[in-house]
Amino acid sequence: MKHHYWEPPIALYLFLGGLAGGILFLSAIFNTFVIPGYGEIFAFPVLISLICVAIGCVFLVVDLGQPGVFWRVWTTATSIIKWGATFLVIAAVFALLYLVAYLDQAWPIFAGLSQLLLPAADFFLIVAGFFGLCIMMYTGIMLSTLKAHAFWATPALPVLFTISAISTGCAAIVLSIGGWPAQITLESLIAAALVLEILHIVDIILVVAELIVLLTMVLSFLGAGNVTAKQAATRWVKGSYALPFWVGIVFLGLLVPLMMYIGGGHSAASQIVAPVLVLCGGCLLRFMVVNTDDRAEIPGEIRYYNKAAKPDAEFVHKWEYGKNLF
Amino acid sequence: MAEISKESHGLKDLVCPDIVSTEVDVNAPGVEMVKSLCYFCHANCGVLAYVKDGDVIKIKGDPDYSNKGGLCCRGTSALLHVNHPARVNHVLKRVGEKGEGKWEQIPYDQGIQEVADRLNQIKAESGAEAVASAGGTTRTDDFARRRFLNLFGTPNGFHNALLCWIPTFMTETCVCGWSPFETDLGAAKSLILWGMNPGASSLPSMNGYTDLKLQNGLKIIMVDPRYSETASKADLWLPLRPGSDSALALALLHTIIFEGLYDWEFVEKWCDGFDELQNRMIDYSPEWASTITWLDPDQIRQAARLYAMNKPGCIQWGCTWDQMGRASTTVAHALTLIRAICGNLDVPGGDGMPGPALNYLTDEEMELNERLPEEQKAKQIGSNKFKLTSWPGYQLISDNAKRTWGKTLPAEWFCEAHGPSVFKAILTGDPYQVRALIVNATNPINSYGDSKMTLAALKKVEFLVTVEYWITPTALMSDYVFPAAGALERPIIVTHYGATDSVMGGRRAIQPKYDRHDDFTFWRKLGIACGQDEADWPWETIEEAYSAIIEPLGLPVAGWDEFVDNFRMYYPPLHQSKFISNNGFWTPTGKIECNSTIMRQLGYDGMPSYTGTAENPEDTPELLDEYPIVLTTGGGFMPYHHSEHFNMPNIRYLYPDPYFCINPELAEKLGIEQGDWCWIETRRGRIKMRADVEPIVDPRVVMCPRGWWFPERDGSANLDNPFGCLESNVNTLTSVDDEDCDPMGGSWSNRGMLCKVYKCGDFDKEFTAEDAQFSIPSSSPEPGIHVKPSEQKLCKEKIPFEMPECTKDVPEGYYWVWQNDGIYQKGTHFKLDDSGWLIDPKTKSYIDPHTGWRYDAASECLVDDATGKMYTMEREEIVFVAGVRTYPGQAAPYAVPEQLTWDQEKGYAVLGDKPYIYDPNSGWMLDPATNAYHDAYYGWLYDAGSNCLVDEATGKRYDMSYNPIEQ
Amino acid sequence: MTRYVMVIDQRRCIGCHSCTVACRVWNKLPLDIIYNPVVSEGVQGTWPNVHRNWTPLLCMHCENPECVPCCPSGASQQDEDGTVWVDPKKCLSCKVCVNACPYGMRDASHLENRMHRFVRKCTFCRDKRQLDPDAQPYCVETCHQKARIFGDLDDPNSEVSKLIGSVKTDRIFTEFGTEPQIYYIPCLGGQA
Repeated sequence: MKHHYWEPPIALYLFLGGLAGGILFLSAIFNTFVIPGYGEIFAFPVLISLICVAIGCVFLVVDLGQPGVFWRVWTTATSIIKWGATFLVIAAVFALLYLVAYLDQAWPIFAGLSQLLLPAADFFLIVAGFFGLCIMMYTGIMLSTLKAHAFWATPALPVLFTISAISTGCAAIVLSIGGWPAQITLESLIAAALVLEILHIVDIILVVAELIVLLTMVLSFLGAGNVTAKQAATRWVKGSYALPFWVGIVFLGLLVPLMMYIGGGHSAASQIVAPVLVLCGGCLLRFMVVNTDDRAEIPGEIRYYNKAAKPDAEFVHKWEYGKNLF
Repeated sequence: MAEISKESHGLKDLVCPDIVSTEVDVNAPGVEMVKSLCYFCHANCGVLAYVKDGDVIKIKGDPDYSNKGGLCCRGTSALLHVNHPARVNHVLKRVGEKGEGKWEQIPYDQGIQEVADRLNQIKAESGAEAVASAGGTTRTDDFARRRFLNLFGTPNGFHNALLCWIPTFMTETCVCGWSPFETDLGAAKSLILWGMNPGASSLPSMNGYTDLKLQNGLKIIMVDPRYSETASKADLWLPLRPGSDSALALALLHTIIFEGLYDWEFVEKWCDGFDELQNRMIDYSPEWASTITWLDPDQIRQAARLYAMNKPGCIQWGCTWDQMGRASTTVAHALTLIRAICGNLDVPGGDGMPGPALNYLTDEEMELNERLPEEQKAKQIGSNKFKLTSWPGYQLISDNAKRTWGKTLPAEWFCEAHGPSVFKAILTGDPYQVRALIVNATNPINSYGDSKMTLAALKKVEFLVTVEYWITPTALMSDYVFPAAGALERPIIVTHYGATDSVMGGRRAIQPKYDRHDDFTFWRKLGIACGQDEADWPWETIEEAYSAIIEPLGLPVAGWDEFVDNFRMYYPPLHQSKFISNNGFWTPTGKIECNSTIMRQLGYDGMPSYTGTAENPEDTPELLDEYPIVLTTGGGFMPYHHSEHFNMPNIRYLYPDPYFCINPELAEKLGIEQGDWCWIETRRGRIKMRADVEPIVDPRVVMCPRGWWFPERDGSANLDNPFGCLESNVNTLTSVDDEDCDPMGGSWSNRGMLCKVYKCGDFDKEFTAEDAQFSIPSSSPEPGIHVKPSEQKLCKEKIPFEMPECTKDVPEGYYWVWQNDGIYQKGTHFKLDDSGWLIDPKTKSYIDPHTGWRYDAASECLVDDATGKMYTMEREEIVFVAGVRTYPGQAAPYAVPEQLTWDQEKGYAVLGDKPYIYDPNSGWMLDPATNAYHDAYYGWLYDAGSNCLVDEATGKRYDMSYNPIEQ
Repeated sequence: MTRYVMVIDQRRCIGCHSCTVACRVWNKLPLDIIYNPVVSEGVQGTWPNVHRNWTPLLCMHCENPECVPCCPSGASQQDEDGTVWVDPKKCLSCKVCVNACPYGMRDASHLENRMHRFVRKCTFCRDKRQLDPDAQPYCVETCHQKARIFGDLDDPNSEVSKLIGSVKTDRIFTEFGTEPQIYYIPCLGGQA
């Protein structure tokens, strides 16, 4: 029984949230452990992550039935959704602080503020990176707790979403590292190049890992005893989702970038095309997973809802009580 | 249910919306509960309406009524119905072209007058018979319509009645004197449900069946070609070929006769012509029926035994028999003979025959049938062909009912023009041109047979008036549309078409909204506007008419509303085994007529013989190459009723598209999958529906539901198919050709036809005018009129009937009945006894033939029941003084006490010169001036307060032994 | 204590949809919201050896509802008598609960004001029972067949307690650990 209660904005939100988390997480790792001292080169990736968070949040709120009372999300203790919102806000706040610390490089008017924040910038990014990791894990865990949906209710899903999020974050950093507002210096260029070299290797590992987890999850469902999960997996492997799955996610989103990464060296294919493909693949993955909200059918349900009218049927909108025609 | 308030408070709404409850509190002050009835199907469930400030705010099922608080989808939606934005609320007068949908709203009375003027003009030019009227079902009080038509002078009123009960009723009445339709299930051991599905059509009774089965072990035999909601609960289910019912019924009758399962004693004593019947049934063995019905012979035997050996048993009426076309009355005839010979008629646990209401006014008494001239009766369209259900048959049956019961069936429903023939008359002018049609509470395009012909007729008819809730396809073609008051807006009386002796009722919960009126008011106003005498319409409101109906019950109520409040229903004392106390059944011979005399007199066979439906694999195998699939139609399906409720979004949402039933085996062969749009085609056209693929019917059969149209569409956009009224309407496929109709009852062919089914192609999925073109006969491949209706033959030739010679002397004012050699008075239909007295069948009392006064044995006098006056056996009026009978001019008929004297001139005993009259019954003297009692010795006044006597002259008081009482 | 449950006698249900419509009418639901569909797989078997069952559905008012703890705003909640309901004022319509329900018994309407949608579900007619504590839910009241029986499971004399104690009953999807509180008396015969 599929219903698609969650529509495209939610899938997009999950993708963008994961992407932002991935960017922040990787930026924090690199800035803290690999090449400390070149914070400005991560300012643009962080800006991108902020934009992702902003757009994601807009989609999230807009998808609500009552956007005006979105703040009520923080009124209970048990809900996992609340944690997601909290992680997002903390990560976004610290990422913003980090960004502002480098804003003077482009807009001197911020000099005072930047000078004030700069000493704590590394700390800000560590906090943002930690909560970025939380966001990545949250997107998968949130779906996997909804046990009514067999395709989601698997521990593999948070792993898959986390790997995919880091992988897309990786791709986003590759595309954006060292950009505005950083003043390009020779040192920062070398640092950025070093990061790129390392990310190249990291993304190869991530893509391979993602491929393994994805295939493990889908193919194990195919042989699973759970009828609903099996039906869903069958749809992915040889049904109506087979084309986007095999061609979209596996081939174009994972295998092609993998080959480009491995064989492309410093070519545009490896540095621009491959990351873009990874991003698109990650996005498609979220859409397909969210759409695979198969619930076990209560016998007869499908027949019933197939017969029932659709909300756009002519008679549904023809008459309005209170407006007499004759 | 709590809801976010729809009232806007601007920005605050967004952040902190207000919540309101949609729950209605029926216990709030100012809310009045009115006992009403549901008016959306024949079950007429009890409804409690909660009214506040003149509007119904809530309804619920009446827990103290047969529905026990239950209400179905339709009943529950009554408030959405009464306030529906598409309801017709004002008189709509057509201002554009016919069907263009351009209307002017005019006041009700103006509309009535304009219609009346036009009707009068047509009557003056072409005779009253040029005006006809089509009716619907359970939405109306049709005694009012018949009253109007009779006074207007036209015999051409009709309903869809021929598809629903009436041919069966008339057949059964011919055989046993009334329709045995009131099943006594509580005491029954077996029940046959034949082609009826109370699970979809009548929920309260379904509940009863389930209970009786679970608790009493009632054996249910279900005859239905479709595995229905009801079949799922049955003990034995006979899934016969649609339309082969007559073969099955005859085989059951054969089995019961030749296995000796019938009630020997009953047949011996009460049945006439059983030997003839036995001879007739010889060939109809289960083996013979098996090839026709697709049933196993043993299944048929098992069913016969289950019914006949579990006595008493019931056969529930279902309208399947009435929709077979040719075979309709054959089935009804055979089944009623089965009931009869098994001794299940009018006995506890059997099929009860209520007879007409003897205790209140029947619909017939409200109709003024005597005002329709004989020559107009003869002009009734179709009455020369389908005689059982029109004036020729009705007259015989009705006169017989008056002779046996003392009252009769209403002419409405039971004596009508043949609907399809009226539509044909509009198109062909044969037998004469029908110029005006008043359509009340029906949408003939969807409900009557051969929709394309009906649509053509409604487009062509010169003057069309519709009384409706909605703009139906029919209303769209009208010159005037009158708004009808519906459920909750009108009181409701339930007397089962005036064919039973009980009555149930509901009150008007609210006055009709807008300019809506109930149909009684419509006919009354129209009648008076046409120039009919107001004295012929003595009741101003429908409540007054209902009050008049129940007045003879003598209940202590002031009118209809009080009746509903305090009684709500009236059942006569239990009335089973009446044939024993009556010493006979209510047929002309007084016996169960195995070879019906009335049928023979009408020119029909008096016993059933096998008739197949118009198209079937056995009789018309030549059609099988082109049309290999058996099609059956009709069948009520929740949540709709006939062609209604397609515009109720709440209901429609659950069932938005038409679905037909097809077996997976057949579907696979035809490449059809669940939900596919398919064409269903007969010789008469094609329609499209979606496939419901499940093994609910035989792989050789498809079943299509009835009624479909699409009120959400723009009707005027396509006048070949307004509101899609042809494209998914199964009546586009049915036949009303005379030879396909039942030769006695006239019901047309809805069941057991032949069709083909195929998927709608990508380039062949739009319904066009070519898909359903009208032709007469309907099977003609070329559109148009190829044969005049009067040239069309029936499927069976009439059998000439010769009435025996009358050997008796029939006095003036009397007539002879050949069946029982009796002589009856004209008018009253009382039998002339050998003693010279008349006998009133209602009361079995003797009536003086000269005066019509009843003989009262107790006081040995004659009573005129109309005035209450009493007469001596010499027909002299008996004078009463102070309630005491006098004997002027006679000697004292009783012993006169010694102190009194007999005054021969006055005719009573007196005390001296006192003005008192002696009452021999009490022994007291009565003062005619005061009605006070005086003693018969001194004439002292009796004072009841102190139980003593008072001498008025002196004021002295005495005790009852004449001893003075000291003050 | 009070624990409201419903027993559904599938032997009596004939699939007339009266309960569905009564609920929609009196709870004034938008057209696309159905609290209590009556579903069936259709006629099963091979003609003429066939049978059919109807399954009237509604919120299972679970003992361990999936839909309550997942709600971020506290709108989705459970009364002490077991009634699971949604407070429209608090609901964000984030539809987590909708996705959490294994029975598909919640949804927000697509036909309503875009800014004021909230998740709707069967409440055992909570508002009606608040006005009149003895009231039955509309679906129960309207059922001609008496196929739906509502009552207090903690009351040993209630009809539901007696039925559950004496007749074999089934529940739907017990494997999720939700402890659904709608008890079905299956129609084992049904074959004509």
